[in-house]
Amino acid sequence: MIRRSRLAGLLHLWPIVALVLLWDVWVLANGYTSIVAPRPWSVINDVVGNPDAYAIDFLWTLAISVGGLLLGMLLGTIAAVLISLWAPMSAVLTPAALIVRSVPVTVMIPIIARVFGYEVYTVLVVTVITSFFPAFVLGLSGMASAPASSRDLFVVFGSSRPASLWRLRLPYAVPNLLLALRITAPLAVLSAMLAEFLIGQQGLGYLFIVARSYMEIDRAWGTALVATMLSVFAFLAARFVERRISPRFT
Amino acid sequence: MRLRSPRWLNNTIGVLILITVAELIGRTGIAGRSWPPLTDVVGYLAEPVAQATVLRALTATAASAGWGLVLGIVFAAIAALLANFIPVLRPGLDRLASVLNAVPLIALAPLLITTVGRESTPAVVAALGVGFVMFVAFTAGLAGASATHQDVFSVFGSARSTTLLRLQIPVSLPTVFDGLALAAPTAILGATIGEWFGAPRGLGVLIVSAMQNYQVLLLWAAALTAALLSLAAYLIAVRLQSGAVRRFT
Amino acid sequence: MTESATDTIQSGGSAATAAGSTAAVRPAPAEAIALRNVTMSFDLGRSKRMTALEDFNLSVAEGEFVALLGPSGCGKSTVLRLVTGLEQATSGEVLVEDKAPADLAKSHRLGVAFQEHALLPWSSVRENIALPFRLARRAVDWQRVDELIRLVGLVGFEKARPRQLSGGMKQRVAIARALVLSPDVLLLDEPFGALDAVTRRRMNGELARIWEEQHITTLLVTHDVEEAVLLADRVVVLTGRPGRVRHVQTVDMPRPRHADITRSAEFRAVVDHLTDLLDVDRKAE
Ligand SMILES: Nc1ncnc2c1ncn2[C@@H]1O[C@H](COP(=O)(O)OP(=O)(O)O)[C@@H](O)[C@H]1O
Ligand SMILES: [Mg+2]
Repeated sequence: MIRRSRLAGLLHLWPIVALVLLWDVWVLANGYTSIVAPRPWSVINDVVGNPDAYAIDFLWTLAISVGGLLLGMLLGTIAAVLISLWAPMSAVLTPAALIVRSVPVTVMIPIIARVFGYEVYTVLVVTVITSFFPAFVLGLSGMASAPASSRDLFVVFGSSRPASLWRLRLPYAVPNLLLALRITAPLAVLSAMLAEFLIGQQGLGYLFIVARSYMEIDRAWGTALVATMLSVFAFLAARFVERRISPRFT
Repeated sequence: MRLRSPRWLNNTIGVLILITVAELIGRTGIAGRSWPPLTDVVGYLAEPVAQATVLRALTATAASAGWGLVLGIVFAAIAALLANFIPVLRPGLDRLASVLNAVPLIALAPLLITTVGRESTPAVVAALGVGFVMFVAFTAGLAGASATHQDVFSVFGSARSTTLLRLQIPVSLPTVFDGLALAAPTAILGATIGEWFGAPRGLGVLIVSAMQNYQVLLLWAAALTAALLSLAAYLIAVRLQSGAVRRFT
Repeated sequence: MTESATDTIQSGGSAATAAGSTAAVRPAPAEAIALRNVTMSFDLGRSKRMTALEDFNLSVAEGEFVALLGPSGCGKSTVLRLVTGLEQATSGEVLVEDKAPADLAKSHRLGVAFQEHALLPWSSVRENIALPFRLARRAVDWQRVDELIRLVGLVGFEKARPRQLSGGMKQRVAIARALVLSPDVLLLDEPFGALDAVTRRRMNGELARIWEEQHITTLLVTHDVEEAVLLADRVVVLTGRPGRVRHVQTVDMPRPRHADITRSAEFRAVVDHLTDLLDVDRKAE
């Protein structure tokens, strides 16, 4: 039974295989030289054949995105808690969150880079800001989803405010915060890479510019491939965590 | 309805506070030379030359983003309808969408710049970003009709296409517009990413070159313009969404 | 039984003050809950107000079980919420043990169960019942928790989570949770409202049995006449909006009352009488 569903699961990966084949056919059909667009096999070869060329930058981007993701989500959750404890805070935090939500990181990164300087922590700041908003908004609505009857019950049992927060509203926010994690995980990788591309001295985004400027086309596309895998795995890991933990809170 | 006016008032006060804080940071210079007072930025934008530069870039970016939005929505709709009518494709397409959704748009840029060219890359990156978001919204929306409703339609012997038209599409609209609220800023994100990789014009290009050349006022003016464009796109989508929710739920 | 067993079928609002006016004549039982001339109106915005309770009087003696009966929307829950301190009366006085209602909540001596069971979905049955200890920042008395699990008949389900339980079981957990701190006052707002008729009957029986053991001052809100008569020492019938006391019915059938009592002529007579009173109200509307 289990083996069969695994097999079906693999079969459903057909679009990805099709995509790689399509890429190859497309390169051949257009007669692109390897400078314009390399064939998938030579890109995969470059990645598999030179893992140490990618390893450090891969780990760097991984560390920055995970660190920024966790820090941003923590700050977003704290902001949500502050609003829920002190309503007037929402006057400032709600429009600020709206700006962070709708304004693309590509617009924020250059300003952040200018203000904070071309430093490593600027990349971190960018990922923190990206990760802040989903946790903030979803955390807030999660805390508000605690049913009125439960809130009344806590009052009647003489619960203190911190106890209501800890035992009622935060647990109710957990599924939403995990949803925020799933939404944010690939975004954090994207913004870390964008920031590295523009200002970094390390990381996959930086590796990408270097490869491009030396016309190492396989390396440049390989970086894109590695970045995609990092982002997809970040997403899958977040989804795994969500599926594992969320059911316990609903 | 009743909550509306205080919330509006609240948010207006909040926006005013944010603007004031930004202005004060600029005036006092505590964030350094790279953070000008907002009034200086607005004053700079009032100059004809600066205005013309920013406006040309804005037009280019808005056009790329707009094309990207339209193309992305069309392709996502086609894919979602395919998944709806040919159920065998469904799990594969779903998996593809969730994986593609996680692909960093920056990884697509090299692929495009050498193939579709510098001019079209922004629109294509925007279309890809929008497509992923909208495919998820379309499939979730089409699947959203309740089992009871579906049963009623099949008991009346409704054809697949009739069910689609009279049930699934109306039911899907709120979710689709939810997706649109996400997709609208994504279109601008995609367009500006595409521009970073060497498009001839656009706000993305302008912002990066202003950053590299220490043109602080131009940087802020272009960034504020892009922010307002994005905010407007988002708010319009949200407006449409709440209209759809009122009409179809 | 603290009240003397006189027939108290009276009419109109005068019944409301029955307990108060007779206090001077008879040795007064300690008054656990008192609502005096309470008016409660809600602000509906745009300068509209809705009066839910008007000139409402109620007195519940210590150790007494009082049921509030009335059509839905007549203000029963509002009375209960006033007693919990969750709402403040627009005018009039609400006292619990001669103090402001919120005092009792703050000192963790109030037990409540609402129609919505309000169990925490991530906690086991045992943890849900232990919650009041944690909110009171006291060490959990697990022996007491397990004793209540036995009392409400949930042995074997200690580790189950709410969504694995049936509606009746969830309500029993909610009632165990209300009782776990041995509260001075127990407030029940249609705790069985969401249950089917058969389960409801069985739960009524169990609540009666549990109450026999402890005799906690209890205020039960219900729109089910049989439930009220089976459980209560006194049944207070409310009028429709705005809520006032229409009638107070003393039920002096002997305890313990078993399910078969519901077939006795005396029981039926009281039930029919109260049902008629509720019906008058419906016709008037
Ligand atoms: N917070 C509130 N705001 C406005 N109206 C309320 C509020 N709470 C209760 N009401 C109104 O007061 C009346 C009595 O409500 P309630 O006490 O819940 O009735 P019952 O429990 O008898 O069904 C109802 O008409 C209800 O709509
Ligand atoms: Mg009620």
